[in-house]
Amino acid sequence: MSDQLADRIKEIIVETLALEDVDPTTIETDAPLFGEGLGLDSIDALELALAFHKEFGVRTQENDENNRDYYKSVASLVKFITEKQAENASSAS
Amino acid sequence: MNVVITVGTYSVIAPVGYAILATLCFFWRKHPTRRAKRLQSITSRAYRFMHQWLGWTRITVLDHQKALPDLPTGPFVVIANHPTLMDVTAVTGLIGGACSIVKPALYQRTMIKPLMVGLGNVEGPGPDLIRIGRVVDDCVDRLAWGLPVVIFPEGTRSPHGGLERFGRVAFEIACRAKVPLVSLTITCDPLYLSKQVTLFRPPPRTPHMKIEVLAVDQPDSLGSDSRALCKRAEQRYRAWLRKVAGETTRSYDSGPEDSECQTS
Repeated sequence: MSDQLADRIKEIIVETLALEDVDPTTIETDAPLFGEGLGLDSIDALELALAFHKEFGVRTQENDENNRDYYKSVASLVKFITEKQAENASSAS
Repeated sequence: MNVVITVGTYSVIAPVGYAILATLCFFWRKHPTRRAKRLQSITSRAYRFMHQWLGWTRITVLDHQKALPDLPTGPFVVIANHPTLMDVTAVTGLIGGACSIVKPALYQRTMIKPLMVGLGNVEGPGPDLIRIGRVVDDCVDRLAWGLPVVIFPEGTRSPHGGLERFGRVAFEIACRAKVPLVSLTITCDPLYLSKQVTLFRPPPRTPHMKIEVLAVDQPDSLGSDSRALCKRAEQRYRAWLRKVAGETTRSYDSGPEDSECQTS
């Protein structure tokens, strides 16, 4: 499940940010997304937050001091999205 | 010695200036847009005077009389390389006032915040990646007020003779606000108030600052794609740096007296 989610996140990153030269399968799950690695910036993070909300129903809150950790890598995004979806499910039931 | 005297004089005058601006902020509080424009006008004159003073005292020379040609008439986004700490005051003074993005730690200081708000400056995102959305919105808002916005796309001072990688914020703001993007080049020769050359260790020769227009771009020329605009601007700055470095090298080759020559 988490592997599938990681693959989908990689696809969303490439599609949303129009990274024409990047094959989603070449993105390493634990590699940093910002600065080094893919070299994304804060505007990219904002676009990804909107895309994740649309795809997974997960909202990234502004002023959350953990946002940088959530968006650190694909692995951290998998953890963040899984936890938020579980929270959403428990609050809905 | 000149630096010590100037810093001492500034320490005496600055609180008076802050007090006057804070009073004006209070009296003009009902009209934020008008207040920001008036305060920007005052501070840009103050910055021009400050650079004139720095010229008189031979601390740094900026040709503040020389207006920047070809600037758009309406609001615009200004980007520039960032070799020294004096860039903000020099650019703001030359273009007659502009809003900028200020680090939260400075923006939130009790004594300074009323002035920051009054001037229409925008609080930076800090470590939270997602807050950049609010920063972009606020900057678009300031442009709608009719005020230019100055942003250093490297996000920090330039390394000596080079550039950090450009962030996309300035370009995204220009695209969303549909305003021109003005690229300025800043040189300071020899370098002063960079990360390496500190306030109380000025270079032996008086630094000369020069600010010029590199390009004026309309965002729709690249389909309002901030990523493409950013890439083109960064390539253009790197090409300019190579050209400047080439001139410096030729100048260096011409004689040993030019060996201190540094460019941004």
